[in-house]
Order: sequence, then structure tokens, then C-alpha cells
Amino acid sequence: MRNGGDNRGRLLLISLIVTSLFLITLDLRGVQVLGGIRSGSQTVLSPVQSVAATVFRPVGNFFSDVTHLGRTRGEIEKLQAKNEKLRQALINRKNADAELAQLKSVLDLAGTAKFKVVNARVISLGSTSSFTQTISIDAGTNDGVRQNMTVITGRGLVGVVKMSYPNSALVQLATDPAFKVGARVAGSQQIGILSGQGTGKGVLQLLDNRTTLKVGDVILARGSQHNRPFVPGVPIGEVTSVDNAAGEITQIADVKFFVNFASLSIVAVVIGAPQADPRDALVPKAPVPTPVPTVTIYAKPSESPTP
Amino acid sequence: MFARRFLISFPIFVAVYVIQETIVSQFRIFGSGFSLFLIFTLLWSALGTPELGALTGFGAGLLMDLSQSSSGPMGQWMLIMILAGFSISYLGFGDDNFRGNPISLVVIVAIAVPITRLVYLILGLMFGGQLGSTLEIFTSLIASGLWTVAVVPLLMPFVTRIHSGLFEDLSRG
Repeated sequence: MRNGGDNRGRLLLISLIVTSLFLITLDLRGVQVLGGIRSGSQTVLSPVQSVAATVFRPVGNFFSDVTHLGRTRGEIEKLQAKNEKLRQALINRKNADAELAQLKSVLDLAGTAKFKVVNARVISLGSTSSFTQTISIDAGTNDGVRQNMTVITGRGLVGVVKMSYPNSALVQLATDPAFKVGARVAGSQQIGILSGQGTGKGVLQLLDNRTTLKVGDVILARGSQHNRPFVPGVPIGEVTSVDNAAGEITQIADVKFFVNFASLSIVAVVIGAPQADPRDALVPKAPVPTPVPTVTIYAKPSESPTP
Repeated sequence: MFARRFLISFPIFVAVYVIQETIVSQFRIFGSGFSLFLIFTLLWSALGTPELGALTGFGAGLLMDLSQSSSGPMGQWMLIMILAGFSISYLGFGDDNFRGNPISLVVIVAIAVPITRLVYLILGLMFGGQLGSTLEIFTSLIASGLWTVAVVPLLMPFVTRIHSGLFEDLSRG
């Protein structure tokens, strides 16, 4: 130390470092020294987070919208047109309506697949400093939510429950770099492993080198043994580009997730799934173009008066 | 005396931690946003002695490890924050020109935040973590530095006032 470099200071620094290394060693060996305190702190914080989510989420959504302005300009223009018609009705109920829509879509999806689900609100968006992509939800062990359960929205896979506390749970998002899920291609049933990349896209690596992917293929969760951590058939995303590099053993493709992770507010945790695999029943329906009525006008020359 | 003042400052850290976990975590802004708690801790450390910086890092790291969204093993944030707190206070210790200049503090904290996060990432990889998109990480690190430049001037009046109220006599001695 420049001025205060006495032995006491050095001893303190070394003691603190040794303490932290001791904790790391214990944790990596599976001894949960402070696990109870972590769980307890979350139990205390979750009601406060829940209140803060209600109060500050509209502000958070505003910032999120500003961030994604370039990407969603087309959607914003459409919404602006709709908003013009619905402005009066949305003034007081915009937030509630959005949550209701997400809740309805997730129940539709769960109903189609006969999943037993617990609905939950997103109460926190996870750490910004540790490079992980997580959310906290307001359902926990008291609601039947356990570790390694699938989390979905009406559009598809959100992630998996990593930790569950009495009144809340931590969900690892599908975009997290450490996230991996067994996936299959709807229709062709090719299988592979999809990994999160920390962005809105995942990377799918096929397991069989004799099969091929194409842009537009829909990717579904393959499902795990006893349906944990993943129930089968949940839509994950759509192939946006395929890497056909000669050096690769199997094909790799970029997959754009169906779920918009920037605007999650209502999710559902699958706490029970039927024995039967829903197969491709949950594949999102392609938009059907609205028929435009054709108006045919027959021009009939009027009879000119003869001179 | 030193320990007593350190303990008095602990509730302040808990309050900032609660604000971070309940309010700041609601916002998903450009480049993953900023960590108010990390910025506060490093700014606080920059104003104190190296021993105080290391102790501050220890307490702050413990709280960060207790966060449910902390992905690493218990003690990872603690180790990094001890080193970060010690280093940032060591850099400016005994140099009143440095500590008295707000711009120096903004710059040093803005550099320290991405470096701390980068060290966390590297240590996480050594513990078996996943890297993810390099571009995303690069953007996040740069953005955290920029956010720090914006946030530190807002925090500085409060932090310097509270810090000097608690530790001024001690640091002079």
C-alpha cells in the first residue's frame, strides 16, 4: 500500500481473499454454506419485487420499447394505427389487457397440449452484471413450482426453472448462454441440440449428418424423461439461416425464438404433462391472408343518340 | 472505531442492494443496462482507504453472491469485489488531487465497472460457465462503462456526502 501499507492491512486483505476462496471451494464441492441465506433473502425480497414490478414495469417497458425501436418499427406502425381506434379504451387498461392477452395465449397453448400449468407474473428481470439471462416469477414451491420445470408463454418456450423458493422462482431463459434443450424439427422429426447465445437467436446443431435443415423450419422441444426439465412439443423458434460450411460434421442453424423476451410479463410453469406427446400439435399456424373481395365493374357503353 | 463505522455503512449497502434487486432490475435497457449496486460499491471504495475498499468489496460481494440471479458459486463475486475494492482505493489513496476531482472518479469507476465484470466472466469460465455471444458480451461491457459515466455524476453528491460524514476523520488520521 502506498501510504497505509502496514501488516494489518495486508493481513486483512489476505484473510478476506482466503475466506472467499474457502466459500468458492465449499460451493464447488456441493456444500451449500450460505444457500439458506440466499433462499431466505429471496423470500424476503420477492414481495417487494412484486410490488416494484407493478409500479415500475410500465416505465421498464417504455425503456425496452425505446431500445427495440429499430427492430420493431413495422410493428409499432401497425400498433399506432390500432391505438388510434382503441386509445380511449386502453388509457386505463393497457397493462391489464396485455397481461390478459398473454395469459389467454398461454392457456390456449397449455390447453391444446393438455399441460397442467401454474400462471405467474414476471417480477424481476435478473442480474445485469453477471452475463446471465434470467427472470424471477411470483410463483414458487407453495404453488407447486419445482426446479427443472418448463416455462412457457402462448408463443412457446421461455426457459426452465433453475431455483424455486416458497413464493418465487428463478427462471433461466432460453437465451442464456448456458441454456441447452433437445430439439426436433416439426414435420421431418430431425433431432438436435439448441443452445442459447445471449441474444434473441439460438443455435441448433443437428445430431445426424444425413439430414438437412431449411429456412422456415419450425423447431420444437423434444422433451425429457418424465417431462423434466422439458415437456415435449413446445414451440421454440424458426430457422432463419442455415450454415452449410463444408468443415462442419452436422448442420448448424440460427433459430429465432418465437417468444419476445423483451416484453415478458405473464408466463406459465408446466407442472404436469400428459403421457401422450402432443407431437406437432403446437406448431404455430401460418398466418392466413385475408381474402380481399374483388369488385368487377362492367362498363357498358351507353347508347349514343343517333342524329 | 473503524469496524463500527464500517458496520454503520452496511445498512446503506443493504438499501442500495434492495433498490438494485427490486427497482433497477425491472428495466431492460441498452446493453443490459447498469448495476447501481456495483457502481455504488466501486465509487464508495474509491473514496476510502485500501483496507476499507477490501472490506467494502467483501460485504458487497457477499450481497451480490446472495442475489438469486447470481449464477456463479458462492464467493465468486466476493473474491472479485475484494480485489476490485482494494485496487480502486489503492489507486487513489493518498492523492487528494485525484479524490478531489470528480472527473477522475467518474473515469476510474467507469473503467473499473467493465473490468470487474470482465474478470467475473473470465473467472466464471474457469469455473465451467458458458460464454455466449462475444458481440453481446462486448456490447454489454462497453455499455456498462457508458452507463456508469451517466450514473456516477448523479450518485456522487450523495455518496461523497455520506462517506465523508462517516469516514472523514478516520481517513485523515
